[in-house]
Amino acid sequence: MQKSDKRLNAKDLINIGLFTAIYFVIMFAVACLGYIPIFMPALAALCPLVGGIPFMLLLTKVRKFGAMLIMIVILGIFYLVLGTSPWTLPLGIVTGLIAELIVRAGNYQSAKRAVIAYGVWCIAIFGNFVPTFFMRDAYYERMVSGGYGLEYADAYMSYLPDWIAPILIVACFVFGCLGALLGRAALKKHFIRAGIV
Amino acid sequence: MIELRNVTFNYRQTTSASKESGLKNISLTIRQGECVLLCGESGCGKTTLARLINGLIPHFYEGELSGEVRVDGKRLPDLPLYETAGVIGTVFQDPRSQFFNVDTASEIAFGPENLGLSEAEITSRVEKVAREMRIEHLLGRSIFKLSGGQKQKIACASVAALCPDIYVLDEPSSNLDMAAMTDLRQHIALWRSQKKTIIVAEHRLHYLRGLCDRVIYMRAGRIEQTFTWEELEALPLQKRTSMGLRVLSLDELKLSPSGTVAPLTDTLEFSDFVYTYKRGEKALDIPSISLPRGAVIAVVGLNGAGKSTFARCLCGLNKHFRGTLTLAGQRLRNGARRRQCFMVMQDVNHQLFTESVLDEVLLGMKKEDKAAAEAILDSMDLLDLEEAHPMSLSGGEKQRVAIATATASAREIIVFDEPTSGLDYTHMRSVASNLARLQEMGKTLFAITHDPELIMACCTHAITIDRGKAQNVLALDGVGRQAILAFFLRKEGERDAVRG
Amino acid sequence: MRMELLRGGYAEQTLRLDPRIKMLMVVTVSVILTAGGYGGLMTYIRPALAVLPLLLLLLSKRWAASLLYILCFGLAYFGEYFLLSRTYGVVNFILLASFSLFTRFMPGLMMGYFLVSTTTVSEFMAAMRRMHVTEKIAIPLSVMFRFFPTVREEYSAIGDAMRMRGVVLAGGKPLKMLEYRFVPMMICSLKIGEELSTAALTRGLGAPVKRTNICSIGFRAQDIVLLLLCLASLGVYIQWLFVH
Repeated sequence: MQKSDKRLNAKDLINIGLFTAIYFVIMFAVACLGYIPIFMPALAALCPLVGGIPFMLLLTKVRKFGAMLIMIVILGIFYLVLGTSPWTLPLGIVTGLIAELIVRAGNYQSAKRAVIAYGVWCIAIFGNFVPTFFMRDAYYERMVSGGYGLEYADAYMSYLPDWIAPILIVACFVFGCLGALLGRAALKKHFIRAGIV
Repeated sequence: MIELRNVTFNYRQTTSASKESGLKNISLTIRQGECVLLCGESGCGKTTLARLINGLIPHFYEGELSGEVRVDGKRLPDLPLYETAGVIGTVFQDPRSQFFNVDTASEIAFGPENLGLSEAEITSRVEKVAREMRIEHLLGRSIFKLSGGQKQKIACASVAALCPDIYVLDEPSSNLDMAAMTDLRQHIALWRSQKKTIIVAEHRLHYLRGLCDRVIYMRAGRIEQTFTWEELEALPLQKRTSMGLRVLSLDELKLSPSGTVAPLTDTLEFSDFVYTYKRGEKALDIPSISLPRGAVIAVVGLNGAGKSTFARCLCGLNKHFRGTLTLAGQRLRNGARRRQCFMVMQDVNHQLFTESVLDEVLLGMKKEDKAAAEAILDSMDLLDLEEAHPMSLSGGEKQRVAIATATASAREIIVFDEPTSGLDYTHMRSVASNLARLQEMGKTLFAITHDPELIMACCTHAITIDRGKAQNVLALDGVGRQAILAFFLRKEGERDAVRG
Repeated sequence: MRMELLRGGYAEQTLRLDPRIKMLMVVTVSVILTAGGYGGLMTYIRPALAVLPLLLLLLSKRWAASLLYILCFGLAYFGEYFLLSRTYGVVNFILLASFSLFTRFMPGLMMGYFLVSTTTVSEFMAAMRRMHVTEKIAIPLSVMFRFFPTVREEYSAIGDAMRMRGVVLAGGKPLKMLEYRFVPMMICSLKIGEELSTAALTRGLGAPVKRTNICSIGFRAQDIVLLLLCLASLGVYIQWLFVH
C-alpha cells in the first residue's frame, strides 16, 4: 500500500465493513438493554457513547476521506430497511460529510477533531425524531389512527414538546463527544498498549 | 522463476505482523517447478519470506525494504496485488478467516471473478478444480457448516482456480487433524505434478516427506542452511530438535524414551456424559468412564469426533447438559464444574480481559492477593511481564497467562484445547513442560490434541474418541505409547487407502 | 435461530427469489407495518404483509424461525387486542408500547432475517452490481454479510470464557462488563479482518476491471408476483398517507 494513496483501497473497504458490522452488533446488544420502552430515549445517549470505541478504532485504521461517510450511509440504509427511520440516511449523509471535512482539515491526525467529528456524526441519530417534530400533526394523527390509541399518542407528544428538539440534537452531539473520548480511552488503555493499532 | 537478491526488510507497522522477524540480506533463487520448504523456529522470518514472495510485503505489510525481488524477471514491489493474483496464489494458516463468501462454489469462483474472466471460463475452472481435487461433494455447501479440514480444501481450491504458477503456503497445516493433513499432502502433490512452483512455510514437517526438493532452514531473519530432504533426514534427531525442528516422520517418535507411568489410584468418575444436538444427533455418548486423577490425559480423535464437546461439557459450558463428574467423593454438576475446571482455549485471545498481566491474575482470585498473584506469575516465568498488556504478548506467553489465571482461581482440572497448533519444536516442548509443572502441583490435565509429539513429550494417559464414543483409555507406558502412535499412523494410512 | 444467520448456500434454498425482490419486500413490510396505520384497504394489507414473512420462512424450511415468529407475534397481537382494553394508565402505556413494538417491528425483522439467511454473498454482490451500487458501498456491505456469523462466534466464545472465569457480571460494574466483552471481541475481529483482507487481496479483490459474477440472478414468475404485491401495498400506503 502506497502512503501517497489517498483513495480508499480494498483493504480500507474491508476494514470499514468490519467495523460497521461490529458497530451494528454493539448497537444491537445495547438496544436489547433498552427493551423496555421507557429506556428508549436513553438509547439516544447510550448508542453514541458505546459506539465511540469501534468508531475511533476505525478512524485510526483508515485515515482517508470517506470512511465515516460510508459507515453512516450503510447504517442509514439499515435503519431505512428495518423501518425505524427513513430520515437517518439523508441526515447522515450531511453529518457524515461535515464530520469528514472536520477530520480532513486536521489531516486525519488530530485527536480533538476526531472527537468533535464523531459528535457531529452522531447527530444523524436525530433522524429518528424528525417526524415527531417537523411533521407533528401528521405524525400525531397517524399514531392515533395507526392503532396506538389517543392515550399513548398524547403521552408520547407530551414527552417530546417542540422545545426539546434542540436539546436532543445537543445531547446526540455531547454524548457522541463523550463516546469518542471513551473510545480514545479504550484505545490508550488497550489497543495501543496491546500494540495493535 | 523467483529471484531474491540481498533482500533486507523490517516491519514498521505495529500489527500482529510485527511479531514476525524481519529479513536480513536474503539471496535466493527458486526455479520453476521447484518445491521449497521454509522451516525454522517461530519468528525466524519464514512467514516474512513467504509474504515477500506473494507480494503482501510491501503492499499490505509496510516496512523498509531493500534489495531486489523479481518474479519472472518483473520487480514484484512494482506490481499491485491484483496483478500478481493470477500468478501467485496463497493458502493461509487459519481456514476460518480466509473466506470472503458464505458458500463454497462462490468462494472458489471468487478469485477469477475479481479478475473479470468470462462466466464460461470461470464455471469450467470451478468444475475442473473440483474434479482434480476431488471436492465435488463440497460444492454448494455453506462455509460455516464445514470442518476445518474441509475449509482448508476449499481454500486450496479457491487458490487453484486462479491457475497460478506459484503456490505459497503459509503454515497451512496448523489447524488440521491427521486425515486433513494427508489431504493437504495430496493437493501439494497434485500441484507438484503440474510443474507448479511451491513454497511451503511450515512447522509440522512429516506430511511433506517426499515432496520437497529443497529445505531452507532460517534463523533470525537469515537463511542459515540449505538441505535436501535426505540430508536433513540424515542429521541425528537430537541435532534437528536442537534446531527447533519437528520430526520428519511419525516413525521417529517410536524411538522417543518411554517412561513408566506412576500408578494413580484416585479417579475421576464421569457419568452420563451424553450430549445431543437440537437436531437429535448424538455429539457425545459416554455413559460412564473412569479416568485417573492427577494424570495428564491426551484426548485424541479426528475433527468432529466429539472431543470439543467432551471438553465443553466437562467445563460446564453446555447448558442443559445433565452429566456429572465425581471428584473426591463430590458429585459436580454444570455450575460446580465451571468453578472446578478451566479451559485454555485454542484462541487464547478470547479469554484475556484486562489491561495488565497482574490484573488478569487478580481478576480470577476469590480475594485479591497481590503477593500470591506475583508468586504464581513467578512460577510461570511471567513476573517480568506483570505490567504488560496481555494482548501484546507472544502466543506462548498468553497461554501461560491463561494457565496462571486458572491456578490463581484454584482449579483442579485444566483442559487445553489444541495447545500446540502452529508451534515449533521448542515452543511445543515448553508447553509440555508447563503441563508437567501443573501435574506436579496436583492438577489433572486434559489435552485435546492432534499432535503426537506433544503426547509423547508429556501425556501420561490417552483417551481416544470416535463418533462421540470413548474408544480406549490407555496408560502411556511402553505399550500404550506404541498403541497411540499406531493410532496416528493408521489415521494417516486410512486416508491414503481411501485416496488410493 | 441466529445460529443459521447467513448460512444459506445454494443447496439450502428451496425457494429461489431474486435478492432485489427480497430487499424490496423487507422495505415494504417494515415501512408499512411500522409507519402505516389502519383504515380503508390498509386493514387488509397489514395482516397480509405480516403473514408474508411467515409464508416465506416456511417455504424455505426455516422451522425454528417460523415458530419463534408465530409465538412472539401471536402473543403480542393477542395482547394488543385483549389486554389493552382491560388495563389503564401506566400499565396500559407500557403494555401498549411493548406489544406494538413487537407487532410493528417483528415482521420487518423476520423479513430481514429471510433476506440474509437465504442470500449468498455472491448473489448479493450481483444484485448490488445490477443496481449500480458503487463498490465503496458494496464491498463493506458484503464484508458485513460475511462477518456477522463470525462476530457471533467470537461473541459466544468470549461469553464462554467469561462464564468460566465467573466475570459475566464483572462485579456489577457496567463499564467493566462492556470492556470485558467488547475489547477482546474487537481485538479478535481486527486479527480476523487482517487475515480476511490478505486472503481477498491475494485473490485479486479491488482489481480495476469489471468484476464477473457467475451466479445468475434475474426475475422469475415468483419474483414478478411478489413485485406486484409489494407495489400494490406501497400504492395503498401512499394513498393512505395522502388521506391522513
